[in-house]
Amino acid sequence: MSVSSLAEPRTLAQRLAEAEATIEALLSGQVDAVVDPRTSTPVLLSKAQAALRQSENGLRKSEEQYRQIVEATSDGIVKIDPLAQVVFTNRRFARLLGYQVSEIVGASLFSFMSDAVKSTLLKSSESRSSGGDAIDVALRHKNGAEVATSITATVLVDDAGMPVGHLAVVRDVTEQMKLQSQLMVSDRMASVGTLAAGVAHEINNPLAAVIANLDYVSEQRRLLLDADPALRLYESFLTDIKGPLEDAGEAARRVRLIVRDLKVFARSPEEEPTSSVSVTTTLESAMRMAWNELRHRARLVKDYGPVPEVQVNEARLVQVFLNLLVNSAQAVPEGSADKNEIRVTTRAEGNRVLVEVSDTGVGIPAAIIGRIFDPFFTTKLAGVGTGLGLAICKRLVTDMGGELSVASEVGKGSTFRVALPLMSALTTQKVPSIRPALASARRGRILVVDDEELIVRAVERSLGKEHDVVATMGAREALALCARGDAFDLILCDLMMPDMTGMDLHAELIQIAPELAANMVFLTGGAFTPKAREFLAVTSVEHIEKPFEPANLRAFVQRYLRVSNVPALVT
Amino acid sequence: MNRSPGKKKPSLVLRLYVAGNAPNSVRAISNAQAVCDEHFAARYELEIVDLLDHPHRALSDGVIVTPTLIRLSPLPVQKVIGTLSDTNRLLLVLAGQ
Repeated sequence: MSVSSLAEPRTLAQRLAEAEATIEALLSGQVDAVVDPRTSTPVLLSKAQAALRQSENGLRKSEEQYRQIVEATSDGIVKIDPLAQVVFTNRRFARLLGYQVSEIVGASLFSFMSDAVKSTLLKSSESRSSGGDAIDVALRHKNGAEVATSITATVLVDDAGMPVGHLAVVRDVTEQMKLQSQLMVSDRMASVGTLAAGVAHEINNPLAAVIANLDYVSEQRRLLLDADPALRLYESFLTDIKGPLEDAGEAARRVRLIVRDLKVFARSPEEEPTSSVSVTTTLESAMRMAWNELRHRARLVKDYGPVPEVQVNEARLVQVFLNLLVNSAQAVPEGSADKNEIRVTTRAEGNRVLVEVSDTGVGIPAAIIGRIFDPFFTTKLAGVGTGLGLAICKRLVTDMGGELSVASEVGKGSTFRVALPLMSALTTQKVPSIRPALASARRGRILVVDDEELIVRAVERSLGKEHDVVATMGAREALALCARGDAFDLILCDLMMPDMTGMDLHAELIQIAPELAANMVFLTGGAFTPKAREFLAVTSVEHIEKPFEPANLRAFVQRYLRVSNVPALVT
Repeated sequence: MNRSPGKKKPSLVLRLYVAGNAPNSVRAISNAQAVCDEHFAARYELEIVDLLDHPHRALSDGVIVTPTLIRLSPLPVQKVIGTLSDTNRLLLVLAGQ
């Protein structure tokens, strides 16, 4: 083999010079490779070899680093060719859809979408530019379920700028969407709360007047009928109006119950006293209350596991269980109690207490199960349910720091689960003062302060027979009476009044007539300003909620007067 | 790999044999390019040949080690072996007769 094909034959001197230069380069370490003329095989010198190896290692290392990044990211990464075939994917994407990486590579990305999603995507891709914007795509999991994702795709181009496919970053947004819808629900609940507070206030004042006056008319009717034989002429009339009066009273009371239920959404749970409550005892008392609803429809099965006590408001917990039990009972058709079952289970799990109420009723269709905790959502006939029961349960359980959830199958039944934390965050405890009951009624002098004329008159009528009632329409007037030295055994005062509030009056009285301030009781309409809420939370002044039953109001006043330390100055 | 920054027929034609990205070869490439760009701008052609890919070509050019730079034109053919870091000596060879 010729060593030189170059034009001129080399002289010996040139060859020697070349050889010398080669040796010099070799000795000074400037040579990388030598080619063996006999075999034409290039041989890398060890130093160069090591260096090359190092750079290869470096390449491998940086490749490994990128791999790690691609695998560690919480997003799915997919590379597809122009025909949408998957060329590369990370494990995250495969897991998102329930596959192995090897099952995904080579498949068409469209095979993980429903036809509808695919055609929408293809249609929209025409109008989209090179990408960069995230689009929402529902992918199909191996098990058939839909996975909500947000996909950001970038066009990949080769050295010549020709498109060679797409790189897609796929984010699982199932959780995000769940949170969003929860947020919307809690938003809705907040507006219901605001609405409820307003409605409660607007309705309770006139309603108090309606109830008290109906009561008064009924009472007068009874007295007329009993007392005066001369009025016998009107006996049939008086008898006839008994029914309508009772109906009106019943209807007004129903309005009151609805408003009271609504107020659950407007109340602040911190105001309610909590205590250590036995879940099973609470369940038992709810069952006793619901017994009439339950017994004709299903067998009641109790499956109580040992559970620790929870720190909640007991009355509220009873309300929750009662609502759930009645709800379960109503899901079961009447008449075949032996075939149906309502099962109540308690058990401890971690730091929670789980209470489940299951029925073998009609079940809840999937289409509406998301709405059953919405206020005013009901499937029951008008008059049977207001659509507030489950919404109230949800709200109460949430306020207890717990969770209310449901699982249901149409035709098989539903299970409602209440999960309560062992230690509630609500630790404030307020023990209501109990006044010892004494005998004999006594006549007292009572000042009524309310800007609502209807209320003032209703209270006057309710208490007028047993007590001396002084009525005022504003706190200033009341203050003037007190300032000039009038004495009262009891001051029934509206809390929220425009010009001067009940709280202001109370503060003034403490200054000028502390013994009268001590005799104040507030009438509250349900809506509180934050200031009023705070005031009620710390004050020792009692309050009565409007609308009140006249009989209850009378009983309250009697009880109050019996234990009152200040003797009446009026004979 | 041909490099012909100018459109005119180049007055200096060079061929540099290297061994992949081995360090001395990389150094030789960058040294050759720097000197040529500075002193023969637009009038040179530098071909870089990888010995690992073309051992036969190297042997036919009488090259048995890399890096080796060959001046093909103008004649006579000249060779420089090593990293070409001695700029003065390189210039002497490239510009000399």
